[in-house]
Amino acid sequence: MKVKVYKCFRILGWDFTITPTRFVLTGLVALMAATVLLRLLTGFQFVTNLTDETPWGMWIAFDVMCGVALAGGGYSTALLVHMFRYKQCEVVARGALLTSLLGYILVMAGLFLDIGQWFNFWRPFVSWGYTSVLFEVFWCISMYTTILSLEFFEIITERVLVKKLHRHILKILPVLVVIGLVFPVLHQSSLGGLFLIMKEKMFPLWWSQFLPIYFLMSSFFVGSAMVCVETTLARTAYGHEIPHEIMLKLTRVGARIMLVYLLMKIYDLFSMDLWGYVFQGTLQSNMYCLEMLFGIIIPICIIVSPLRKTRGGLLTYAWLTVFGVIINRLNCVFTSMYESGSYFPGIGEIIVSAGLVSLGILVYCFLVENFNIIGNARAVQVKIDKDKDIKNLIWALLRTKRH
Amino acid sequence: MTNKISRRKFLKVVAGSGVVGFGVMAAGCKGDPSGAQGWIPDQYQGKGDFPVNLKGRVAISQDNPSIERDDEKCILCGQCVEACKNVMGVYGNYPLPLKNEVACVGCGQCTIACPSGAITEKRNIQDVLAAIDDDSKHVVVQTAPATKVSLGEEFGMEPGASVGKKMVGALKEAGFDAVFDTCFSADLTIMEEASEFVHRLTKAKDEIPHLTSCCPGWVKYCEYFYPELMHNLSTCKSPQNMMGATIKSFYAEKKGIKPENIINVSIMPCTAKKFEVGREELQVDDQRDMDYVLTTRELAVLLKHKGIDLNNVAESEYDSVLGESTGAGKIFGATGGVTEAAVRTAYYLATGSNPPADLLSWQPVRGMKAVKEANATIPGVGTVNIAVCHGLENARQLLNGIKEHGSKWQFIEFMACPGGCIGGGGQPKSSEPDIKQKRIAAIYKEDTSSAKRCSHDNTEIQSIYKEFYGKPLSEKAEKYLHTSFVNRHDRLF
Amino acid sequence: MAVLVDITKCIGCEGCSVACKMYNGLDFKAKPRNIKDGHLELDDNRWTVIQEFHTANDDLRFVKKQCLHCLEPACASACFSKAIQKDEKTGAVVYYPDLCVGCRYCMVACPYSIPKYQWNEQFPQVAKCQMCESRLSKGDAPACVSACTTGALISGDRDELIKKAHEIIASDSRYVNHVYGEHEVGGSEWLYISDVPFEELGFKQVSDTPVTNYSKSYLSKVPFFAAGWALFLAGLTYYNHRVEKNKKNQDDENKDKED
Repeated sequence: MKVKVYKCFRILGWDFTITPTRFVLTGLVALMAATVLLRLLTGFQFVTNLTDETPWGMWIAFDVMCGVALAGGGYSTALLVHMFRYKQCEVVARGALLTSLLGYILVMAGLFLDIGQWFNFWRPFVSWGYTSVLFEVFWCISMYTTILSLEFFEIITERVLVKKLHRHILKILPVLVVIGLVFPVLHQSSLGGLFLIMKEKMFPLWWSQFLPIYFLMSSFFVGSAMVCVETTLARTAYGHEIPHEIMLKLTRVGARIMLVYLLMKIYDLFSMDLWGYVFQGTLQSNMYCLEMLFGIIIPICIIVSPLRKTRGGLLTYAWLTVFGVIINRLNCVFTSMYESGSYFPGIGEIIVSAGLVSLGILVYCFLVENFNIIGNARAVQVKIDKDKDIKNLIWALLRTKRH
Repeated sequence: MTNKISRRKFLKVVAGSGVVGFGVMAAGCKGDPSGAQGWIPDQYQGKGDFPVNLKGRVAISQDNPSIERDDEKCILCGQCVEACKNVMGVYGNYPLPLKNEVACVGCGQCTIACPSGAITEKRNIQDVLAAIDDDSKHVVVQTAPATKVSLGEEFGMEPGASVGKKMVGALKEAGFDAVFDTCFSADLTIMEEASEFVHRLTKAKDEIPHLTSCCPGWVKYCEYFYPELMHNLSTCKSPQNMMGATIKSFYAEKKGIKPENIINVSIMPCTAKKFEVGREELQVDDQRDMDYVLTTRELAVLLKHKGIDLNNVAESEYDSVLGESTGAGKIFGATGGVTEAAVRTAYYLATGSNPPADLLSWQPVRGMKAVKEANATIPGVGTVNIAVCHGLENARQLLNGIKEHGSKWQFIEFMACPGGCIGGGGQPKSSEPDIKQKRIAAIYKEDTSSAKRCSHDNTEIQSIYKEFYGKPLSEKAEKYLHTSFVNRHDRLF
Repeated sequence: MAVLVDITKCIGCEGCSVACKMYNGLDFKAKPRNIKDGHLELDDNRWTVIQEFHTANDDLRFVKKQCLHCLEPACASACFSKAIQKDEKTGAVVYYPDLCVGCRYCMVACPYSIPKYQWNEQFPQVAKCQMCESRLSKGDAPACVSACTTGALISGDRDELIKKAHEIIASDSRYVNHVYGEHEVGGSEWLYISDVPFEELGFKQVSDTPVTNYSKSYLSKVPFFAAGWALFLAGLTYYNHRVEKNKKNQDDENKDKED
């Protein structure tokens, strides 16, 4: 197996790798920081395109909804590996956990920026609006992120802090795992439940009494798809190989859930008499067809066909599923409410979302390169130089290139 | 193990629960609802279904050409409702639900009644300033008789001060290309209207009673509420529009200016005039008779904007051709003035000689009484019964009586505004209790100090007929100086 | 307290709109934020607006638009920090900014899209008609009702007003036989009667089911589902633990056998 070698710096005992891509990502993060400052000082008017007609925008639709769905790779993998004993897949579990944790933290960061009176974020902890589905989402995500952090703490304590602490954490891990599988099921479905109250405003193709179940199912099968995508990217970056059969085993479960999803959607079309909307040719019907065709029907076709045995075929399935879920979440927030108003994200919103994703990638890489997450003790072959100070680091940033 | 709790532990528990309790209290405390930071007038305290005399306000449409309102200044005092309902008989006299429009005759009494200045005339100052600055346009301005005895108030002068000549000087300094006198066209109106009246008395008896039509607020009121009486209205245009039509034809020809390049502006005590100049009928050969109306108040603003102080301005004379006026034209601004002027000339047209002295100071039609009655004995015609009415609520009651019992008067003058034009919606707002009487006194003083007292003696009028119109009620006069009316009854009922 | 709006009596004077701005200290100078189909819409400085409509006969009708103060308010149900609460005594649906996090779920949840937002503020609040709650608690009518010039707005007990509304409709054949707000999404405190069909006056056609029913029925199932799922997982964990233990014992036995 070829091992990629990067120019790397060791500062205070931690490894930092620089590539041109990461340079760009860091730049995005810096831009994001400036935008965040502007947002916190001046509110929404300069940073977003949100209006009274479209009060939920990119940060909710993409950062929160898509973010939570895609970060669900953690729980679906955990469910399969720990509960249903997909032992072979254990090798991806840690990476999935990390993506999940990072994803949720980024979701919370994005959410924090989206709320108007952010200094009141703690109110629902003591002022209980229990009639609201959002209340359940809020509590479950808070609890779940705590659990994930504790689970991930186990990985950290492997290398840092006292080894005794590590043993203690290992002991309560099973309890954490069970709790950590209840909360995500609850809040993934409740994110769909948020839309139930919008019956009079949502375009009929997306409103259904099964909305929570749809969101739960899609978060599940996108989980394994995301794992497939992440590990492929990690392989490209770190030369880290995951056997094809393992990927296939994970995704096949997801595909079966996808089939049930499709059947339920078809049932909805009949029971609510919606066929007329599907082929109307309007924006809403076209987006619905796009979502169902590329996100559900074609991936199912790939999985049942011989294409699934090829690396490329499986990867296509994974990417299509991911995009399908993203389109579905965006449709629920924007397309289904298009009658109220049209919206396109403002430059500030795009910078923040891109910046958060970049930050996530950078942190992921840092953690993967410094902790035992994707298989090897350290994923990067370290070319150790003398301890560099900041000035030389910057000099190197400008002259870095991959060997 | 002892059950004793150490002091430290106890304190920790207490402090902890204190923090939690405070947190919960601070957290769950809902605080104040948003809003309720302001105030509304006392008359709206309580349930609001008390039978108060005044509440709310009149409805003013966005495209009302005469008036507009700044909501921020409105204090919901209800004075506009009082004026519109009890003084002008408009509000409340149409049925609900609404039909095509909310009734408004544009009289502007609400602007006079509004204590906070929320309701004002629709502003045309910028339009006129732009026209003055436009070198390609020949801007002609005419001044109404009522404005000559009121403009001074806006510059600190005594109420009733006569500032006609100063106004001309100020207008010339402001950059108007020609300054004419509406009193001139008032004389013209009298020529046409008196002739029309005599014609109706002698030949077209079904158009008696003859109702005056120089007040656009009254005309619209008639169109709204008494369309069956529209054929009784005089077909004469108002002095403002007769002047406008004459300027864009006779004057334009005489001066060699293209009518398209003439901008006609008038200084009026009236907001309804702004509605009048937009009337479809008031154009000849695709030229609108008038372009802009400035109220007395607006003129004061314009002059002040240009740094012209009426106190210090040099007096000047009206431009000739359309600038000469007689006492008869000048009294148009007071209630009863049109009547008196018309009778002076009607007497002459019927008998060929000038009216006797008492008709040149005809007291029965002068004053603030709601309805004044008089009769004029014209040799060869007989006795003409005349009524003079001002304030549209008074008109409403008078006309309802006529509908029921018929009219004992052959000539009725209607003015929308109490006191006549000197009490118009565009006049300076004054807190003087007898301001109207002072202005009226000034008007009649102008009359008595005029060299000529009768419209037919106006030499410029005589020459305009000789040169252009031929004679009163001629075909050309009909084309430029007469108009028709629009039945607006179905828009309300 | 409910309010009956008789659309046939409104002349569009907007005294109600001015009274609302005066009483709540709103900014008169704020430019309209939303104009839809030529109609002025609510915004953070316009808690009530008058919208002008032209019927098929070119008749003028003015419709007062504001929060309807539903009997089953979606916004109050959607608020996860209880920043919007329906007052038991007065029926007003009131917003408390101190509890508001700013998530704007209420804006999305409201079937009529009433709540608006202070987009220009550093710490924006939600903005909607509060039904002059401090006046209501004294027994006074809301500011707009008090200021109505023609008596198009009447306040009172909801049941009595519904009865009165139906009496008016019965006595005059011009009225449409429907009281808008009597049943729409479960009914609201603000009721409307009109001589022009409501669809022509911008009234949204909604069903009589309160939208809160949908989220309520979902949330009521959640605890049971969560408990069931947790039990299932716990059972599975125990089962796996046993299997592991047996396997370990098996391995140990084999190992012993080997030795």
